[in-house]
Amino acid sequence: MKRSFYIMSDGEIKRKDNTFVFENDSGKKYIPIEELNDIYVFGELTLNKRFLEYASQKEVPVHFFNHYGYYIGSFYPREHLNSGYMILKQAEHYLDSTKRLFLARQFVAGSAQNILHVLKYYINRDKEMLNDTYYAIEELMGRLEGCTEVSQLMAIEGNIRDLYYKAFDLILENPDFSFEKRTRRPPQNYINTMISFGNSIIYTIVLSEIYKTHLDPRIGYLHSTNFRRFTLNLDVSEIFKPIIVDRMILTLIGKKMITKSDFDKNANGIIMKDKGKQLILQEIDKKMGVTIKHRELGREVSYRTIVRMELYKLEKHLMGEKEFKPFQSKW
Amino acid sequence: MFVILVYDVNEKRVAKALKTCRKYLYWVQNSVFEGELSEANYKKLKFELEKIINKEEDSVIFYTFRSMRYSERESMGLKKGGDVNFL
Repeated sequence: MKRSFYIMSDGEIKRKDNTFVFENDSGKKYIPIEELNDIYVFGELTLNKRFLEYASQKEVPVHFFNHYGYYIGSFYPREHLNSGYMILKQAEHYLDSTKRLFLARQFVAGSAQNILHVLKYYINRDKEMLNDTYYAIEELMGRLEGCTEVSQLMAIEGNIRDLYYKAFDLILENPDFSFEKRTRRPPQNYINTMISFGNSIIYTIVLSEIYKTHLDPRIGYLHSTNFRRFTLNLDVSEIFKPIIVDRMILTLIGKKMITKSDFDKNANGIIMKDKGKQLILQEIDKKMGVTIKHRELGREVSYRTIVRMELYKLEKHLMGEKEFKPFQSKW
Repeated sequence: MFVILVYDVNEKRVAKALKTCRKYLYWVQNSVFEGELSEANYKKLKFELEKIINKEEDSVIFYTFRSMRYSERESMGLKKGGDVNFL
């Protein structure tokens, strides 16, 4: 499997000998281009056009994050899988409100399914008080079918996440990391900071995978398409947030791998220190490489592949070959 | 698959061999590379090296593993290079 590279320190990246080299005070590091999936930039990086040209040629997206860990944008190389047909199909499913509603519902349902799966794990580990949350979410899921408007779906999705995040306190029982309520831009407590950071990473992971398909990331279904940003990756990320980001958070806090000292109090919010960021990235990166036995394929596939297969399923749905069913975690 | 590559190439060609290996694998120490490769990239690497080396004088050896499950890696002394994806 191709790997992702994370640039945390300051330095310079260059094209050299038909590959990339990252250089700073501590020396040179060559990045094997042929096994490079994408690059995440957190440090102060100096780069030139030659680098971008080669990244484009080798089809490597480069994602940039600012000092606070917020997503700035991506260098999304020229589309190499250009399919007018797929764009038309995507637009068709967006413009037809029943078709759009179907897909939007699938994303919410998929997300909720996986949320329940995460909760189930803790219920099986003697956190019986989570049962209430579990049933409440199940109840909300039942209402998805009756929705006639994407905004209603969004509302239910919001309610589900509300209940679910509140359950974090019961799971963790760690006063340092109490959830209180969801706050963003900037997040007001530690757990919100982790959620925000983790989510922005999963968005870019999905974006990198979209790049390898014919889909256009600008047309999303649950999140409405606008003039500003990619939205399809937000939709697909909904399915994977619970099993990748939230599990990562619960593991890191549960095992006390992350502590208060990995955060910095900023004037108006809380941000993560470099060590904390790296910890989260490492955990997610490891997770993306974990393989599980795929029931239909009958072979081991990594989580990264599963994300991409989700997109292939979406393509098939758009082409009318097979109805889209979101990935359900069983492990 | 996981690949360990070791080479002994005449000085005249060693720079070329080194550069080729860098595109695919992580440099571990002089003349030694390792890394995870896809089947296709493994073939590409072999093909590229074949064109560089002189079969009479040089030698390149590949050790391949399907997975690292039953292997262990121990090292002594300096850590010169190796696989890192956090820079």
